[in-house]
Amino acid sequence: MSEVIVITSGKGGVGKTTTTANIGTGLALLGKKVVLVDTDIGLRNLDVVMGLENRIVYDLVDVVEGACRLKQALIKDKRYDGLYLLPAAQTRDKNAVTPAQMVKLCDELRNEFDFILIDCPAGIEQGFKNAIAGADKSIVVTTPEVSAVRDADRIIGLLEANEIRNPKLLINRVRQDMVKRGDMMSIDDIIDILAIELIGVVPDDENIIISTNRGEPAVTDQKSLAGQAYRNITKRVLGENVPLMDLNVSEGLLAKMKKLFGIKPA
Amino acid sequence: MDEGRGIVFKGNSEGLIIVIPEGYTPEQIISETEAKVSAAARFFKGARIKVVYRGPQLSEKDEARLRSVLDEKSGAIIESFSWEDDSAQPRNDAPAAPAAVFRKHFSHDLSEDNCKFVRSTLRSGTRIEFDGSVVVIGDVNPGAEIIASGNVIVLGTLRGLVHAGAGGNREAFIYALSLKPTQIRIAEAIARCPDDADDRVLSPEIATVKDGVIIVEPAYTHR
Repeated sequence: MSEVIVITSGKGGVGKTTTTANIGTGLALLGKKVVLVDTDIGLRNLDVVMGLENRIVYDLVDVVEGACRLKQALIKDKRYDGLYLLPAAQTRDKNAVTPAQMVKLCDELRNEFDFILIDCPAGIEQGFKNAIAGADKSIVVTTPEVSAVRDADRIIGLLEANEIRNPKLLINRVRQDMVKRGDMMSIDDIIDILAIELIGVVPDDENIIISTNRGEPAVTDQKSLAGQAYRNITKRVLGENVPLMDLNVSEGLLAKMKKLFGIKPA
Repeated sequence: MDEGRGIVFKGNSEGLIIVIPEGYTPEQIISETEAKVSAAARFFKGARIKVVYRGPQLSEKDEARLRSVLDEKSGAIIESFSWEDDSAQPRNDAPAAPAAVFRKHFSHDLSEDNCKFVRSTLRSGTRIEFDGSVVVIGDVNPGAEIIASGNVIVLGTLRGLVHAGAGGNREAFIYALSLKPTQIRIAEAIARCPDDADDRVLSPEIATVKDGVIIVEPAYTHR
């Protein structure tokens, strides 16, 4: 039974694309057949983050317009079997696709793949409507900033209004030292506001920037703390019960991080 | 999929050859051609082509129907459409005689082509489509696309996507002061930078098609 999961946030720059690339790669590493769909038409990034930009011949708009077959547009990842990318068009805009076309596309992809991960654009306009149209589940990405949490709250409301139940929360770019000083919202503060289930916490990690620039998702990097966080999240997506890095208090998070550092010195 | 058994499209310097296998009904021929042409519509768009078909000869009526499908679906300008007796033709569709060795990048129709000048850097999301050659005075960044039926010359760094000879002209070339493209296409040939690309090359380079493959060379050897 395949799942269509949309990764969304409302606010830009919080890590939707990085999350899509890492969870997708993580699932492929665990032997699942995965396709990543970039719906950010006109501002595509997922192909760059995956290091597959120079292989694009056809894109999502070509598929929905019937200019090519779906299989022609799917780009097989250069490193991992079972991982594919359906890139967005760069020279078009969000209005080139309709929600009905996305539903049809997702249904077609269900025949081939275990997981269909949809990278949603920022905003709540046409691009967002397209991205969520065919989705069964959702992951809402936020960072510990008031503005990102505010947007995440709006997005959760819109997802629920569109009958995508039980969105999961991913808190990205957490800096435990700042949380401890009281300069950053804690995990608990964010969960208090958003009141949805947490699927994972990703620490702020410069390895993410390095891996993103190289086009190699951090999830494969055994030394990276963020990579470990994404591996845990991947297992939770598969329904495994992996303990969260932090759920109770900020000291708990810090202790857990220290423990992780102890096991895998960076 | 029964590829290799169905209708086959072949390109030659004149345009398109449609090879129809024996035993196809006119309905099958028309519907399969329509599907194939629609799928490749972007490739044909704006091109001027002469179309011939090989295989069983169609009735005049079916021939007219097939032509109207090509007219409507391909977006190309069909200059002529006729049946060709393939038993009389050599099997090899390669050009018969090699062109004169010098000036081979400047076939007559390309050297006197329409030309569009772009005096700015093309940023991501820009798409230039032009029937003729394109000269860019500036850079072409990743995510920008140039689709030209003729040559493409970039007086700057080419980092984006360029399709020269988009109508099928294999004589077209791509020249850049610094050639570091995401992808280049000439006629139906396609190439991308190797993943471990060496970006130390600082000289101008030119990309051309040789034996159906895109070759990139330092431009000064072509003086």
